[in-house]
Amino acid sequence: MDPEERPCADSWTKSSNNRSFASIDSQQQKWEASSFHDYGLRIEQQISAFNQAFGAQNSVSCNMNSQNDPQDKQMSEARKPNEPQDWDPRAMLNNLSFLEKKIHQLQDLVHLIVGRRCQVTGRTDEILVQQQQLITADLTSIIVQLISTAGSLLPSVKHTLCSESPISQLGQFGGMSNQSTGVSDGMVVPNNNSMNKVENQSNAMGFLGSEQNCPIEDHEMKSDDDADEGENLPPGSYEILQLEKEEILAPHTHFCTICGKGFKRDANLRMHMRGHGDEYKTPAALAKPNKEPSSEPVLIKRYSCPFVGCKRNKDHKKFQPLKTILCVKNHYKRTHCDKTYTCSRCNTKKFSVIADLKTHEKHCGRDKWLCSCGTTFSRKDKLFGHIALFQGHTPAIPVEEPKGSVGPSDRGQCGEASKIEQLEFNYKSGQNIMDVEGSSADNPTNYFLPMGFDTGSISGFSEFPRPSFEDSESSFSFLLSGSGNYPPKDGRYAGSNNLE
Amino acid sequence: MDSSPSTSILILLTEDLLLKIFSLLPDDSDRKSFRSTCKTFYRVDAIRRTHIRVLRPEFLPSLLHKLPRVDSLDLSVCPRIDDSAVSFLLSAAAPIWVRRIKRLNLSRCSGLRFRGLEALAVNCKNLESVDISYCSGFVDLEAAALSRSAELKELNLNKCLNISDVGLAKIAVGCPKLEKLSLKWCFDITDIGVELLSKKCARLKHLDISYLKVTSESLRWISGMDRLEILEMVGCGLVDDMGLHYIGEGCPSLKVLDISRCDKLSSSALSSVIRGHNSLLQLHASHCFPELPMTVVHQLKDLAKLKVLTIDGSRVSDAALKIISENCRCLAEIRLGKSKVRDEGIMQLVSGCVNLKALNLTCCSDLTDQAILTIADSCRDLISLKLECCNLLSERSLNFLGSLCVLLQEIDLTDCSGVNDIGLKYLSKCSELASLKLGLCTNISDNGLYYVASNCLKIRDLDLYRCSEIGDDGLAALSHGCKKLQKLIFSYCGLVTDIGMEYLSSLEELSDLEMRCLPNITGSGLRNLATGCRKLSQLDVKNCKNIDDSGFWALAYYSRNLQQINFSGCAISDVGLCMVMGNLTRLQDAKLVDLTNVSVNGLELALRASCARLKKVKLLASLRRLLSTEIIVTLETRGCKIRWD
Repeated sequence: MDPEERPCADSWTKSSNNRSFASIDSQQQKWEASSFHDYGLRIEQQISAFNQAFGAQNSVSCNMNSQNDPQDKQMSEARKPNEPQDWDPRAMLNNLSFLEKKIHQLQDLVHLIVGRRCQVTGRTDEILVQQQQLITADLTSIIVQLISTAGSLLPSVKHTLCSESPISQLGQFGGMSNQSTGVSDGMVVPNNNSMNKVENQSNAMGFLGSEQNCPIEDHEMKSDDDADEGENLPPGSYEILQLEKEEILAPHTHFCTICGKGFKRDANLRMHMRGHGDEYKTPAALAKPNKEPSSEPVLIKRYSCPFVGCKRNKDHKKFQPLKTILCVKNHYKRTHCDKTYTCSRCNTKKFSVIADLKTHEKHCGRDKWLCSCGTTFSRKDKLFGHIALFQGHTPAIPVEEPKGSVGPSDRGQCGEASKIEQLEFNYKSGQNIMDVEGSSADNPTNYFLPMGFDTGSISGFSEFPRPSFEDSESSFSFLLSGSGNYPPKDGRYAGSNNLE
Repeated sequence: MDSSPSTSILILLTEDLLLKIFSLLPDDSDRKSFRSTCKTFYRVDAIRRTHIRVLRPEFLPSLLHKLPRVDSLDLSVCPRIDDSAVSFLLSAAAPIWVRRIKRLNLSRCSGLRFRGLEALAVNCKNLESVDISYCSGFVDLEAAALSRSAELKELNLNKCLNISDVGLAKIAVGCPKLEKLSLKWCFDITDIGVELLSKKCARLKHLDISYLKVTSESLRWISGMDRLEILEMVGCGLVDDMGLHYIGEGCPSLKVLDISRCDKLSSSALSSVIRGHNSLLQLHASHCFPELPMTVVHQLKDLAKLKVLTIDGSRVSDAALKIISENCRCLAEIRLGKSKVRDEGIMQLVSGCVNLKALNLTCCSDLTDQAILTIADSCRDLISLKLECCNLLSERSLNFLGSLCVLLQEIDLTDCSGVNDIGLKYLSKCSELASLKLGLCTNISDNGLYYVASNCLKIRDLDLYRCSEIGDDGLAALSHGCKKLQKLIFSYCGLVTDIGMEYLSSLEELSDLEMRCLPNITGSGLRNLATGCRKLSQLDVKNCKNIDDSGFWALAYYSRNLQQINFSGCAISDVGLCMVMGNLTRLQDAKLVDLTNVSVNGLELALRASCARLKKVKLLASLRRLLSTEIIVTLETRGCKIRWD
């Protein structure tokens, strides 16, 4: 993780160079020489510096940042021991207690709001709006921190969140400071007004983030899940939203503002909120938030991948937007993330989306339909369609032959050959064992005892030799028309007949 | 041979003439006598001979060397064909005869595996026809081996239960010249396989998909096969009317269609087929409909060329038969088994169809002598008539047949209680008779058999099942008259004794004998039979309790050609069983149930002695645990099917 952070910092400095922020420039030397241990801290300092420089005109943003700074530091410090090894219970405990503290803060805030709302009924609208802005900004900052910390608690996503939360925070705040409505969107950076700087930054961040996570050649590897390739929305007819990497990778996207519990769906969150008080039980609170009474035509929303250079990124020449947040999530995980889920059956196929793994596992090992050309198919009819299409292709049959027939047939091979030779010898020499038998047949058991029934000598018994055939005619017989013209052996037969 | 007159005759008889004479001998046994006469005749036979069916493969190479024109080889009755036998055959004389072989019958060669088959397919480059029916152990590997012979035109895969679509695909791709393919009872083959077949084998003329679990989808693909002339699809229970609509619109060359026992079909299916194919020669639709629908009957008018019509199991009205007789003038064969036709219907039918050669009226128990009279009167060319279970018929019917249908070759009178000695006397005027079935005709006696035996000298197949009045004298008459007799059943004719068996022993052609439950026959009777009937290949002596080991010893010694035997319920001992099973090297099928005098060890020894060649064996289920697993496994790996009773 640490070495990977390096390019991040580099490009970060570059991007800040581009904008020529003196304060950062002056720090650069020191910064680069600094050890990895206080890395996160350093970045944070930079960021706060940057933030101050950048958002100086915005009091809300500054205010908030200064308020959060100590906590951020605390957070990064708490994280530090976590970095060398994968999981440290102590760090986890730290994180948890931090979360607890945060949640308490949040609770206090909300209590405050509740209290204020009761009081401010008589005040002017102006003050009301101002207060609301302040509180929502505070709230958002806390929520974001919660997200990042919560993320760091989970091993699967920890590396994506650890040191970048401040950066994302920066982007968030930037967006929020200019657009109070952005709060309701929470995680989304709107792409409509003059937020060039923020946009650029977030692009850079996206790029860095992805560089950390996955190699670039994965880029166009897999077409996205949704079929919006054919969708020809004229550019500008839709609103482009770009989620940040952390938001994409966060296990939950909707968080309870009171207890911090995360949810995958907003509806679930609303259901959850009912438990926090009667005010959340009103039909208005339970209604879908986007079903606002505003009758103006809703602008179609499309999404951009934060990965710079990706076809799904809005700066790409042939940008193709993603339709839904789910598409963004799947696209991002599939294309720009490590494939962490390995199929337990074949141990070769890897996936970054767990649903893909499950789909694969359903069919894994069933790719048994093999063509002579080497192509495999999961279904017989697909193989047969392939064979029908190509001249000379046939289904391949696995080489391993059914057990049981191998051994005996092989054994039979040598045994049989010698048997036939022996047989021929018998015929040629005109040996007549039957005669011998006949003479020794005073005891019926003797009749076949000499031949023995051991497995080894079955051949001797089964090919019971009989008088030599001088005439080739009698050496074979034709069924029905066949001969079976053995020379009459009545005399010999009578011999055995005497037994009676 | 060494006398001068005979030599001079041979000088006169040039090879051309001899060949001409030889070509006038259609019967195998006559040809055999011919070639046994002298070396010259043998040579004539040898240069004419194209087909051999051998019991002993070990002599095959030298035999094929002597018979230069043989291109058809039947190994189906060889008990011991396996991969090593094939490699032995091919190594001995590969270059000489192998290229000549065009037809190969490997039916029931269950010991063979893909290596042997592949060797045959690769070496016999001109192979055009292969039969591997009833090799139920064959899997796709064997099919793949077979697909190496690219010239293949005919292939029979009947009852290759384990060949699936993959095997079929191998064959379809490897043998594109296939013209005839039979897939009966290949239960693993589905629509997918048939679809591929239709795409790859465009030259198919004859296809049999009977009893496959295919749907109408298969028929959709089959309907695109332009050259298909014969389509058999008996018992395709998943095919519905849609499938036959496809056939009606496609298959432009269709001549023969068999949709018997396709339960899902309605009359509209048959209608659409008839509408599409007016030049159909044969239509088989037995057991499809409980009653032949009139819509179909009216459409039968269009089938002016129809020669064979099978509607067993469907009730047919008199009006329907009238329409058929008025329109299908070419009809040569009609099967109306269990169709409940009455005299009027038959009269309507034969009034138009005077060319009828084969008529099946099994279980039409309403028929009287009147119907037979009209049949005999109108259809003088009748060759085959089946009247099983027509109980109202009396000796008068046989009188009409005997005096009018002199060409009759086959008649089935099983369970016709009206048949008596006088009737047989009338019938015996049909001197061409080759097959006569009199099972359960309890009113016939030795006298009746005497008439038959003295006049019907060509009889090959005679069934006297449970004709309890038949005794030794009847068999004596048979053995004097019917020298060509090959198949004889006289089970439960309890009067027959050892004397009768002695008479039978003079029937040299006898190959198939069923004589169950004859208490008066002892070991000496069987001994007489075995010494005389050397061609015996199938013998059923079930429940002949008094045959002792002496009889079975004789059997073991003389009946070298025996292939199938049923000893169940006999008094055979361990020694006798081991003798028979070990010594009869051609034995392939043995039923060994209820052998009270045989110990488990004896049975085990007998099975060990014969395990290399047995293809099928029936044993008591309780023996499954008592016999050693070794022998059971050995039997099964050699391709032997064990039926546990």
